[in-house]
Amino acid sequence: MYARKASELVKEFASSEPGQLSTFNNDLFAQVLEECEGHLLHLQPLMRKIQEHENKLKDKRRSEDEVEISEDERRKSEAEKVILQTALKSDQFGALVHHLSLVRNKRCLMAYIYNRAEVIRSLGWMVDSVLPAEIEEKLSSTEKEYFKNHVATLQSYMSELDLHLTVDMVPPKDPYIKVRVLDDIGEVALSDQVANLARHAIMFLRRTDAEQYITQGGQKQRMLRFQYSLDI
Amino acid sequence: MAKYYDIDDILAEEELVPSVFQHAANEVGLFDSSDDTNKVEAGSRVELPFWLVRELYLRQLISIRVPPCFDRESKTREEIGADAAHVDLRSRCLYFYEVGCKIAPLVGDKTIGPFLLVAFRTRYKEVLIKAHTLTPAVAPKYLTLLTNEEAKLYEAGQSSITAFKKWRMGGPRFQMAPVLGRKRKPT
Repeated sequence: MYARKASELVKEFASSEPGQLSTFNNDLFAQVLEECEGHLLHLQPLMRKIQEHENKLKDKRRSEDEVEISEDERRKSEAEKVILQTALKSDQFGALVHHLSLVRNKRCLMAYIYNRAEVIRSLGWMVDSVLPAEIEEKLSSTEKEYFKNHVATLQSYMSELDLHLTVDMVPPKDPYIKVRVLDDIGEVALSDQVANLARHAIMFLRRTDAEQYITQGGQKQRMLRFQYSLDI
Repeated sequence: MAKYYDIDDILAEEELVPSVFQHAANEVGLFDSSDDTNKVEAGSRVELPFWLVRELYLRQLISIRVPPCFDRESKTREEIGADAAHVDLRSRCLYFYEVGCKIAPLVGDKTIGPFLLVAFRTRYKEVLIKAHTLTPAVAPKYLTLLTNEEAKLYEAGQSSITAFKKWRMGGPRFQMAPVLGRKRKPT
């Protein structure tokens, strides 16, 4: 069936959890594009045939108008015209099916790209300018480029405003929070103090300092995670 | 065109509709791959996806029948009439309401609209009750009955209940960015 592969692509996106990305399916994507090429190959000869049939019909009508013909010939040419017309209709029908399939394929591909781009844009707000490796390998090269540009735009906007917008997405109740360190980090210079973030240490930190460690919990290089037990 | 990029809308239009070709079509060999003529004869019966059906039907190139789950004399209608809340709609049509809304104006069947409304009304009540009361252990079994839209409602109901509980207890509000995955590294 036409456009089956394209819908598989969309289904694959739909089955991944909202906000999560699955690996860009280069293989299936290319197959859909190939199918589009196939439709085009079918479409072109059909278009040519439709043109031919139309020309023939026009010629017939003109010749009928110009020359007087007998009753017998008239009937014959009527019959020919009917045959031509049905052939024309079949060709148009076929062309229409291919055209619709092309439009459908396009819609599926566009939706796939668009919805992924939406997720990638939201990534720019949630993680800092560098993507963790396990997410980055899921993106296609153009998507990586897109993410980089989007983050750059976001950064330049924030520096223009002189306001860090991605901090405190949830408004804080208190500037300090109590955290427990899950992994060894060592000495870190925080905005108001130099703290030794040893494993299992429980301490009071400024929210803004702690936030980056909590939200980037999964990031590999940093192997450090906070868990805070109380949010006073 | 408002829903051009909408994933659910695209998948809903993938639903198959039984149709009959009124004219022959050239160079369309996919439906019946057994012969090489690449031609579909008039009168052949095929199940076409809805995105194809709408355009072809409006041009009167094919005739269609209402898909079995919306048909006037279908078993689904009887079951919905008897006890809508426990009919397994998921296996019949994942996008039951969406497809119903699309197909009704096309075939001009005035009974489909009220039928969908009745089905949704009874089932919606049940979905909300279940979302608030079911324990996670039995929930997967109930979810297999729901269409896509109902499953979303169910999840929304559940998440609002958990949000309410969290608000009452006062839980943590900082969270790891959800994209970074839920698997925790061994500590």
